[in-house]
Amino acid sequence: MLLRGITALVLFQLLGSALQVLLLPMLPGPIIGLLLLFAWLLLNGEVSPAINEGASALLRYLPLLLVPPSAGVILYAEQLADDLLALAFVLSLSLVLSLWFSGFLMQRLIERQQRLKHAKEHRHD
Amino acid sequence: MTDWAGAWLAVSEHPLFGLGLTLGLYQLALALYEKTRWVFLQPMLVCVCLLSLVLWLLQIPYARYAASSELLTLLLGPATVALAVPLFLNLRRVRQLLLPTVVTLLVAGSVATVLGVLLAWWLGLESWLLLTLAPKSVTSPIAMLVAEQIGGVAALAAVFVIITGIIGVLLGPEFLRRCGITHPAAQGLALGLTSHAIGTARALQEGEECGGFSALAMSLMGVSTAVLLPLLVALWV
Repeated sequence: MLLRGITALVLFQLLGSALQVLLLPMLPGPIIGLLLLFAWLLLNGEVSPAINEGASALLRYLPLLLVPPSAGVILYAEQLADDLLALAFVLSLSLVLSLWFSGFLMQRLIERQQRLKHAKEHRHD
Repeated sequence: MTDWAGAWLAVSEHPLFGLGLTLGLYQLALALYEKTRWVFLQPMLVCVCLLSLVLWLLQIPYARYAASSELLTLLLGPATVALAVPLFLNLRRVRQLLLPTVVTLLVAGSVATVLGVLLAWWLGLESWLLLTLAPKSVTSPIAMLVAEQIGGVAALAAVFVIITGIIGVLLGPEFLRRCGITHPAAQGLALGLTSHAIGTARALQEGEECGGFSALAMSLMGVSTAVLLPLLVALWV
């Protein structure tokens, strides 16, 4: 089961890489693979046990898989040291503002939807 | 005569050395996190720090480490493809609020992305750093792919992503409540949209609805950024 799921994921990734070269050079291969798998799931209307098992196995270890490529950050240590303060400022401020804004917008839209639904129900009375 | 130097070479130049080192340090980082439960000590970030330190102490060039840990890196592609599964499952769960969710995602998601880049540009950071900062609100595997695609640095993008996630969790639902944002769906969406997987882990502690929306926001933000950002950059440049 596990192996069948992982096989499917690898095939989707390879298919994505082929399509990247053929049609969509601006999108990364694994992203095209992700979209293909998503379309496949929509068509089927459910996640098969094999794909579910393969996906959960890989996603459970995602942080570990990210370590080797992220360690490449040491190659940029010197350049980063110069911009450390500016980067810390950018990361913090943009996060505070976008966290607030996305929460605020979503709350407003939910309230609006509830008001409209409420008004509609009253009209039917 | 015991050949210490020979034995060390046999280990450090073994094709599995990078894999073994990464697995070992990751166990250490996991144990540290389990013990303290501090948000700062995200296992992946701690592991990258320890690893950088060890590589520097042992004078092992990054290229050699990367070659001997390729087994892990190769699985990153299929793991990224696997993100379609949580996206599909979460999308099904939240049908009633689909419209507010999609609108918020498109508007606030663009704001989160553009704001970071604008601030960085205003502070005079170089363009490769701007492109690396652009996907900072997106889950790491996607952020790395996108950063590389648009001309940034994948490794740095991953680190920016984790730091963003940690700041998001430090502020967390408490900050949102203080701003009058009390609906669990709104809190969850905000956390997932800006702080991806780390924010989602925090949102899950708040409850089912908050966690579900956070997971949905993280998946949607990841996929829409992955599709739209490279397209926009390709049109612009």
